[in-house]
Amino acid sequence: MTATQSAERALKRGGILMAVGLFLVAGVYVRALLFTPEEATQGLAQKIFYIHAPSAWVALYLAYGVVGIFSVLYLFLKDPRLDLLASSSAEVGTVFTTVVLITGPIWGKTIWGAWWTWDARLTATLFLYFVYLAYLVLRSAVDEPGRRARYSAVLGILGALLVPFIHMTVYLFRTLHPMPVVLQPGRPRVPGPMLVTILYAFFAFTVFYFGLLARRYAWARLKAERAQREADGGDASR
Amino acid sequence: MPPANGGFMVAAYVAAAVIYLAYTAWLYWRSRDR
Repeated sequence: MTATQSAERALKRGGILMAVGLFLVAGVYVRALLFTPEEATQGLAQKIFYIHAPSAWVALYLAYGVVGIFSVLYLFLKDPRLDLLASSSAEVGTVFTTVVLITGPIWGKTIWGAWWTWDARLTATLFLYFVYLAYLVLRSAVDEPGRRARYSAVLGILGALLVPFIHMTVYLFRTLHPMPVVLQPGRPRVPGPMLVTILYAFFAFTVFYFGLLARRYAWARLKAERAQREADGGDASR
Repeated sequence: MPPANGGFMVAAYVAAAVIYLAYTAWLYWRSRDR
């Protein structure tokens, strides 16, 4: 099996996983909107949490974590596939961060009374978003693959270094952003049906992320192989 | 009694659905005609 055939199969598998992920996320909507009780003090707006928190988990910890790890590996091993995986994860992570930065202010407006506040967690997350937008712009601005991979690996690592800081902001600073309610030491302080919805949402969004990542990465590999073939003068047997 | 803020919830859910569906559709179609 040639590298192209293998990438085409990966593309198909990615498409299936992406569809499964989308189906599971649709399940989050059904479960959260129809089968999860309304919170007593915040009302229905609390249900924004079931979209916002899992999206933040995927974007910050999974997607940008993958960018950081595979960017470090790229700098050591110089395997172009590591760069393609890191950049695919950066793009998918940026989509999830967009959702985080839109759903958060909608919740904030009704609960805090303000769309935005320049508190440590919100501000740091916005800066992280800008770093990865810059990452994507940088990639489209550099044509030479080796140099593009090296520059973006450095920027990807610097961006990922912000993640532990963002995690700690609610402990280090006096912020308005709520503390963790599930991922915390000791027992989660959430009633049963809500906890089930939260845990299911984290699972569904995680699968969705891996589906998008698999598809994006397979596509990036196919494009890279096609570019390589063109550079080699149309030798399709490689 | 909880506040009546269902409109905010709907806005957030719709916005998230639009973004995720738009990206998924874009990725699917673009990678199909590679």
